[in-house]
Amino acid sequence: MLTIKQTQDYVLKKLLLMGADDVVVGSQLDNYTQIKFVNNAIAATKHWSSVGISVFMAEKKRIVGTSISGASKTLIDKSLKRLWTLAHLVPPSEDYYRIARGPFKYKELKKTFDKRIMNLGNKGVDMIESFMNLAIENGASRSSGALYFGDTHSRIITSNNVDARDKGTLINLSDRIFASKDASVHKVCAARTLADFNPKKRIIEGAQIAKLAQNPLAGKSGKFDVIFDPLAFGSIADEVMLSACASAAEGGYSFLKDKLGEEIASNKVTFYDDETFPGGLNSRKFDQEGSPADKTLVIDKGVLKTYLHNTSTAWKYTAETTGNAGLVAPEPTNIILAPGKHTLDGLAAKVKRGLYISNLWYTRFSNYESGEFSTIPRDAIFYIENGKIKHPIKQIRISDNMLRILKNIVAIGKDSQNIIGWEVEVPVRTPHVLIKDVNITRSVQKAMPKTAPD
Amino acid sequence: MAKIPTPAQEFEASKDLADFAVRHAIKLGATYAEARMDHYWGEAFALENGDFILSAFDNIVGVGLRLLVDNSLGFVTLNATDRYAMKKLIANAIRSVRYSARLVREPLQLSKEKSYTKSYFVPQKQRLDEISPADITNYMKDIDSELVNSKLDVTGRMLDVIHSITRRYFYDSDGSRIEFEKPLIDFNYFITIGKGADSAQRYSQTSLSAGGEAYASLDLKNKILADAKILSEIIKKGVKPPKGIIDVVIAPEVTGIAVHESGGHPYEADRIFGREGAQAGESFITKEMIGKKIGSDVVTIVDDPTIPNSAGFFLFDDEGVPAQRKVLMKNGVISGLLHNRETARVMNLHSNGSARVEDFNYEPIVRMSNTFMLPGKHTENELISGVKKGVFIKSFMEWNIDDLRINQKYVGNEAYLIENGRLTKLVKNPVLEMNTVDFYSSIDAIGKRVEFSSGTCGKGEPMQGVPVWMGGPAARLRKIRLGK
Repeated sequence: MLTIKQTQDYVLKKLLLMGADDVVVGSQLDNYTQIKFVNNAIAATKHWSSVGISVFMAEKKRIVGTSISGASKTLIDKSLKRLWTLAHLVPPSEDYYRIARGPFKYKELKKTFDKRIMNLGNKGVDMIESFMNLAIENGASRSSGALYFGDTHSRIITSNNVDARDKGTLINLSDRIFASKDASVHKVCAARTLADFNPKKRIIEGAQIAKLAQNPLAGKSGKFDVIFDPLAFGSIADEVMLSACASAAEGGYSFLKDKLGEEIASNKVTFYDDETFPGGLNSRKFDQEGSPADKTLVIDKGVLKTYLHNTSTAWKYTAETTGNAGLVAPEPTNIILAPGKHTLDGLAAKVKRGLYISNLWYTRFSNYESGEFSTIPRDAIFYIENGKIKHPIKQIRISDNMLRILKNIVAIGKDSQNIIGWEVEVPVRTPHVLIKDVNITRSVQKAMPKTAPD
Repeated sequence: MAKIPTPAQEFEASKDLADFAVRHAIKLGATYAEARMDHYWGEAFALENGDFILSAFDNIVGVGLRLLVDNSLGFVTLNATDRYAMKKLIANAIRSVRYSARLVREPLQLSKEKSYTKSYFVPQKQRLDEISPADITNYMKDIDSELVNSKLDVTGRMLDVIHSITRRYFYDSDGSRIEFEKPLIDFNYFITIGKGADSAQRYSQTSLSAGGEAYASLDLKNKILADAKILSEIIKKGVKPPKGIIDVVIAPEVTGIAVHESGGHPYEADRIFGREGAQAGESFITKEMIGKKIGSDVVTIVDDPTIPNSAGFFLFDDEGVPAQRKVLMKNGVISGLLHNRETARVMNLHSNGSARVEDFNYEPIVRMSNTFMLPGKHTENELISGVKKGVFIKSFMEWNIDDLRINQKYVGNEAYLIENGRLTKLVKNPVLEMNTVDFYSSIDAIGKRVEFSSGTCGKGEPMQGVPVWMGGPAARLRKIRLGK
């Protein structure tokens, strides 16, 4: 039986002997725990323990991949033989260039690993107890969610002189706090170290806002200036940066296709992808082909400066890799919206007739390329008049265009939060964002319910 | 390529590990334990604008163990067949579940169900793991070339094929042993016609549980070409949707998505009890609403995993309970919910076999399988001919629904104006944005031809995607105002 390290080394050596041009062999050891809580009680405790070895190979521009699970040479040989056979049965990819050429020097990351998270164990249960109690003490009737924590150890070796290791920890609380069935606030608090994990303030704020959100009135359709909570803007930021991947532009699922160098957002908007951000939820030393982590300016004061690249897509666009290689296509890592100057009250003061939206879900496009989409505000939504919250509302939808939304960003808050979740798969660091003239629609109903007074 | 199924002896050996895990959990104090041992084989091919950006295969082995200790639930997984590692995981799990038991409000119990020892499989005349990758890539290339040669302004072409065979062994401490093998074909395409604001797109997924012989009847090439042609015509000739009060006829694809989102999800009992409250959401339905009428007499909705070759096919669910057809809405009345053993126990019922997992890595939760509206008596032409002014929505792209499943939106992709009972012009993106009760109450007549479409339904924490079919006949909605 081979160890993980020996398996990786063996696979690389063997594939090169067989005649492969480019090879990447990555390994990942994960140990994670999730404690799920529902209505103020623990519903399940889950543990995952996994070892994964992934293999990427290019041979005469034929790109193939597999994962290795067996640790005996016989099983590995069998898989590699199949991989080699597969490579000779599939057509080449003309757009493939090569993987990154090492050796590289990698910078040590800050605040991405904490042994205390690895050893958290049953303290996670105690934490949840205190979080559930805190919500109730501050006026909530119940909370549901999950605390997820654990560690990942990874190593990558490539045929281009890369042999590097990384490790990281993560703790992530997703907490939906209810004051009543239709009055809730979703709070997330995620960090790489326990020192950076401080959910209490958010839980208290969540419970208090959930209380304010009780007895919502049916919202109205029309154009509204909207303050997006960091959680809500997180899902928009994900769409923007997924659109900024070269592969998305190629595949047609990007509203940023053919827009390099163009002003695609208001000049208030600066987006980075920063794999090096201290404590960034996805900060990593290297990407999946071994390129060193980097900070990439993607949208600079509204202008689209670059797509996110791996070595091959960069070659096609006569650009440099941005260190965003996934095994097949580039992908964002830590999405960062540069903060502005405004406090939340300052943003609210700019709103004459508008909304505060605390969370979004179910964002779908009718056309990715033109950017037509809709998404559903969920949890607390407030109607704002002359900078003041008037009353909570419900049952509205944002039906708009992403490019219009980006152009209509008028002000950005100064306090950023780390966001990750169901609707924000790629972690985002963002403050509150004010967007003008957002198009709000609602179900066309036969029996009109009580609507908000003007 | 040579046949690479999981070697039989390896599968048999790993069954021993599953049995051992269950026995060991009970020995250490669990009152109930169940194991799911998966052997997964999969192959994927992605073709982007004529370029094969990846061809890959996977063989994955893993076991997931769910256990009850002190009326509290625990779950562990391991992607290896290592008995020592399994023992360590179980011991840790039992300790942490016991520790968390003080924060369990209602003792967690499972409904009592009959035990079964069964094995079943989906027959494959041509096993998916025996199809040559060259045949698959040639098939994809051929479709892609047709798109290129179509002289339509196709600016984006994404095709992908995923073939898999899952062999799963289930064993629980109540004595059930279920074993099955399920192949799955997934064929997805995403095409773009035109550019920027003058573009139109279509995404479509075809999933079914069958061997390679199924391709002969799918006719995917003509389907994609027809879609490309329609998109091109929509850009050139599509008119704005009509305003005012009109009638809308929806084709099976739209009936299917609406039924899945608002006629299936809200009937999941775990949502109703709040277990998925934080992410997938809760439901507008409460258990007290069973018997309440929320739709017209012609609407009956069922969920049925037993449809042969369907994406959502199974004969026993992932808790070992026999699969059955569940009637969710009968003639407009809420008539039943989807249950697993946990939710059934809460309502003092038996499970109706609705527990599913994506794979061994996930806990079983309440899921749909194949959800559809039962057919009526009319042809589609009859439905359309009964409309003076309206819209016929054949397919959709954008859609969403809120987390209580009340407000839904479907944006038409291929759609036509109906004038005096006839389809006249293509309509650009008509929007159906209405609440669930209005939707089902507005239906006055339904078609007799049921069609299914495919999807991957997401739910759970962490998110689990399971293959489903959704469908029904065409349906006519009266007196609708389209959204903007």
